[in-house]
Amino acid sequence: MSRTTDTTWRRRLNALTLELLNGLSLFATLAIVALGLGITFGLMGVINLAHGEFIMVGAYVAFVVHEAGWSHWVSVPLAAGVLFVLGAVIEVILIRRIYRKPELTILATFGLSIVLRQLAELVFSKDFQSVPNPVPGATEALGVLFPTYRYILVAVALGTVVVTLLGFTRSKFGLVVRAIVADRDLAESAGIRTGVTNVLAFGLGAASAGVAGALVAPLGAVEPNLGLSYLPSAFLVVIVGGFSRLWGVLVGALVVAVVQTTLIHYYDAVWALIASLVLAVVMLQMRRSSVAGATA
Amino acid sequence: MRLEARDLCAGYDAVPVLHGISLAVESGEIVAIVGRNGVGKTTLVKALMGVLPATGGQVLLDGVDVTRRPPSHRVRAGLRATYQERALFRELTVGDNLRLGGFAPSVHHQVLDKFPDSLSGRGTQRAGTLSGGEQKMLAAACAIVSAAPLILMDEPSEGLQPSNVDLLGRHIASAREHGSGVLLIEQHLALAERLADRFVVLEKGEVVEEGHAGDDHIHDRIAKRLVI
Ligand SMILES: Nc1ncnc2c1ncn2[C@@H]1O[C@H](COP(=O)(O)OP(=O)(O)OP(=O)(O)O)[C@@H](O)[C@H]1O
Ligand SMILES: [Mg+2]
Repeated sequence: MSRTTDTTWRRRLNALTLELLNGLSLFATLAIVALGLGITFGLMGVINLAHGEFIMVGAYVAFVVHEAGWSHWVSVPLAAGVLFVLGAVIEVILIRRIYRKPELTILATFGLSIVLRQLAELVFSKDFQSVPNPVPGATEALGVLFPTYRYILVAVALGTVVVTLLGFTRSKFGLVVRAIVADRDLAESAGIRTGVTNVLAFGLGAASAGVAGALVAPLGAVEPNLGLSYLPSAFLVVIVGGFSRLWGVLVGALVVAVVQTTLIHYYDAVWALIASLVLAVVMLQMRRSSVAGATA
Repeated sequence: MRLEARDLCAGYDAVPVLHGISLAVESGEIVAIVGRNGVGKTTLVKALMGVLPATGGQVLLDGVDVTRRPPSHRVRAGLRATYQERALFRELTVGDNLRLGGFAPSVHHQVLDKFPDSLSGRGTQRAGTLSGGEQKMLAAACAIVSAAPLILMDEPSEGLQPSNVDLLGRHIASAREHGSGVLLIEQHLALAERLADRFVVLEKGEVVEEGHAGDDHIHDRIAKRLVI
């Protein structure tokens, strides 16, 4: 009798632990997926609909690294580098012309996302490619088995997010980016080289999407449409986390992860998605009124 | 350091405002620009800084043509400006404005204490929520404490109470003592006359009168231009 209740209790605890670990893994993934958007959209005000394709390109970098026979871990810094350069080039030839023009930004980055998907299809075909899990197997901790790679993903993703956020907030760089968005002429008049700063910031946003892509590549198929599934959650995280502080990315990722994990546990994924969208709409309304109140 | 405009032209879209302005200001002197509303004084400051592209003529810093260089380049070369409108990042805090102005946290108090009714303790307030006069004082204090070799000030006394106008005048004079040159755009003629070594009067985007502080009847010559 007491033995049965004991095992039931234990099973419940283990199930809860597993949910928590799943939630943690989702939180870390959301944070790294949204980090770049936090920079380009949250800080710079660029509605970058190609952010998902930056992640997709990062995943293909991981695929190429695997095909070349190199360690998967090479792909993380390499994807960051490749995407930094790609982001910088895109800033110079496209984004630079459309700051503060949201309709044009939406059109241009939507077009860019199509171009990047088509290019991926041209180079790699539509086929689902796979990047094998570099650390197969599971680790037992807290009484449950959990994939070892997920632990590593959590560590690398959160490490990247925290280091990037510290870099932005501890140095003057984040403030400078915000100043340029607030008033470009005034920023120039304060001696800020706005052109260079924007290239760097957009490049960094893209680079962190590259890291995200390399990290998620072993979790599923690598294919041209991979980015489409990440874009909505990335926007959701940034909107929930708020635009005024880059640390909001962590807050947003946490809130979205908790809501989604809980709802998936008690209801299902559809309800989780609906709840997330409602959350986003409510947050947008609240932010709009607080912004209006502040400027009034 | 010497800032020079040669036949400078500038305007907005298709509307020309400045029609060939030539003037110069050097470190250690105060040059007052006066002229009625809408003659193009603010446009001149923007064109000298480069936030408004010149449509003709040249801007030179120590003889080097910077007409096509961005404002940040000119600032790094020693030029600084306080604008008439939007002189601060209104969305950012007072402290962040000071950091962007190049002031380390340890010297923030020097800027904030420049005027009485000190702004110290307001570091975390959003600059846009300071009163109009407070914003003017903060912007002027930033420029003066920066000790830039050349400072352009677009109507710094606008909206200040009389005692603060006096204090502003003493600060500008002391900036000159410390070697800064100031191009002072000023509607407050008494203040301009108290400070300036030279005068330039603008009318419809052109220089119509120039003079030195000691010239005969200089007050009448300027005043006549401003009344009609
Ligand atoms: N952004 C703009 N777009 C179009 N025209 C402008 C713009 N800014 C100023 N102007 C016009 O240029 C002319 C000169 O304006 P400016 O602001 O330089 O005058 P000002 O001498 O500084 O006047 P004030 O004494 O009122 O400050 C005015 O006729 C004004 O209407
Ligand atoms: Mg003006």
